[in-house]
Amino acid sequence: MPGDLAIVAQIAVKSSVAVLFAALGELVAEKSGVLNLGVEGMMLVGALAGFAVGAQTQDPVLAAGAGMAAGGAMAMIHAAFTVGLGADQVVSGLSLTILGAGLSGFLGRPLVNASGPVFETLALPGLKDLPFLGPALFSQNVLVYLAFLLTPLIWFALLRTRLGLMIRASGEDAISADASGVPVRAIRFGCTVFGGLLAGLGGSYLSLAYTPGWKEGMTAGQGWIAIAMVVFSTWNPLLALAGALMFGWLTALQFYFQATGSELIPPSVLRMLPYVLTIAVLVLANRTGMLKGRAKAPANLGLPFSREP
Amino acid sequence: MPTRFAALALAVLAILGLLAPGAARAEKVRAAFVLLETIDDQGWTTCHYDGIKKLQQALGDRVEVAYTEGIGSAADAERVIRGYATQDYDIIFGTTFTYMDAMFKVAQDFPKVKFEHCSGYKTRQNMGTYFVRMYQGEYLAGYLAGLMGFKNVGTVATQPLPEVVRGVNAFTIGLLKGLAESRTAHDPAKVNTVVWLKSWRDAVNETTLAQTLAAMGHDLIRQMADTCDSSKAACRMGVPAMGYGADAAEYGADCVLVSTVFDWGSIYIDRVRAILDGTWKAEAVWNGFDKGGVSLSRFNASVPKEAAAKVLAQKDQLAKGRDDIFAGPLSDQSGKVRIAAGQKASDQDLLAMRWFVTGVSGRIPD
Repeated sequence: MPGDLAIVAQIAVKSSVAVLFAALGELVAEKSGVLNLGVEGMMLVGALAGFAVGAQTQDPVLAAGAGMAAGGAMAMIHAAFTVGLGADQVVSGLSLTILGAGLSGFLGRPLVNASGPVFETLALPGLKDLPFLGPALFSQNVLVYLAFLLTPLIWFALLRTRLGLMIRASGEDAISADASGVPVRAIRFGCTVFGGLLAGLGGSYLSLAYTPGWKEGMTAGQGWIAIAMVVFSTWNPLLALAGALMFGWLTALQFYFQATGSELIPPSVLRMLPYVLTIAVLVLANRTGMLKGRAKAPANLGLPFSREP
Repeated sequence: MPTRFAALALAVLAILGLLAPGAARAEKVRAAFVLLETIDDQGWTTCHYDGIKKLQQALGDRVEVAYTEGIGSAADAERVIRGYATQDYDIIFGTTFTYMDAMFKVAQDFPKVKFEHCSGYKTRQNMGTYFVRMYQGEYLAGYLAGLMGFKNVGTVATQPLPEVVRGVNAFTIGLLKGLAESRTAHDPAKVNTVVWLKSWRDAVNETTLAQTLAAMGHDLIRQMADTCDSSKAACRMGVPAMGYGADAAEYGADCVLVSTVFDWGSIYIDRVRAILDGTWKAEAVWNGFDKGGVSLSRFNASVPKEAAAKVLAQKDQLAKGRDDIFAGPLSDQSGKVRIAAGQKASDQDLLAMRWFVTGVSGRIPD
């Protein structure tokens, strides 16, 4: 059924975008050496802030901007503790997730019923008529296009620019980077906040485009999927896109199987697969020695940087 | 001071109790409600709250109302119900199934207080149950859909329980009747495709399931969840929908042709009035259009006048107590006759219904 395949593909792409934004942001932060487990919390706060501003102004672009800003502000807390004060990144990140979930649930109470703006589908003329790819890729909303454009840009920035080199240096060997004049703290702070901006944008994609409206806990674990996708991608933005799309496909297939009454693969298995595949990739990569050089986790990931020994 | 007052109150109550055993008319009733979600949840609890408001309007200062929101667990429910019983409320309404055992327990400890439990089956001398025959509304909604020629409906169903199965069946029976009357060509084995949320409300899945159904060519989305997100998603895709619980059109789903609406107010008024009159006794209330409890929202402007008139005529029949929705012959999905010609499903059958009628596509999960 080629028609059905295009339908599933369209929903798959739609379902991958929040994870893609968040994973790209987390990837940049981790490349600089900062592990931020607060993605879920930053997404929730971004989703709420985006929707709140949207409900006030009915302007989706402004709303998405507010969602980004809120995610960035949350990330600043993490950056202040881990980069500024050298606190444990795991503890601080987890706290951020708990804080974000509670804060958004509490502040969002009055907004549960509000209606806000929606990023409408913007089919690209010409391209939308392509078979299969037309509905799947080119009949989406602006944020979807943005996410797909951002992926190669981030890849290029990380691997082909001076700034990217400084970011990677901070994450691989902060002491040496520092010795050669890289402002490690500033880089790490900036990358963490950048990660928050994208997590916030991913969250507001949920509340302004994917499932419009504010619902408590509406990210439903997508922040954790994003973190898993960073590992799955072996810290390569292009593979993060592949991972996010895989997540999207698994999500869309759940709905498709349900809508057609097919029980080929139970939904619970499909929900589990992104995590299973992440672990499988890690194990495989380790055993086959694939994890060399670029495909490895940044060597200083999770380690606070300090000039004193 | 408070203790002395309490002692005095107890003494007065004891004397009253001695003087007027059993049926006593009351001047004023203090009614307490325990609510599942918040009163602005756009669904289940909003409907109950609308009922409370109707009760207050109808009885004015002869009723005093208190309510507690957001009681999701049985343990919480017991604490809250016991609290109201201790404060000498005359009647306590528990508005969701989860509270059944908690209320059953508290009711034993407070024989003077009256308890009403929504959608359960345990009763005591001082504890009744109440529910509404939503399936009658579903039947009318399905009938309207059939009259308008919708022959490939996608239903976003909630929990695979008899209540929901019954609703899907009633909708499908109405749909097939409507399709036959409007002479719409259709596949009689597959007019209503059912997918399950396995939850009473789940905005994200409601939205995406409705989108998937609409994208796959279903011509009408039947919302069954507490929130109207599936209707809203259908509207955004240009597919009409039918709302459930509250009027979905009021919450922004403007493509909704009609919503089947809970109308708890009539039950609340009836129950409290029974205490005022001294006629209250524990009953298993299960009201339909005959005694009030369900209603239809206003029709969308796109609904043809003739179709609306036909639906309202059916509604009048139901209001007169003529409920032949589950009259035989009715077969299940495999074609096996479940209710023979000339027979009718009893209330017991309806309350335990776990099979889909012919015309439904989809399975009931275990």
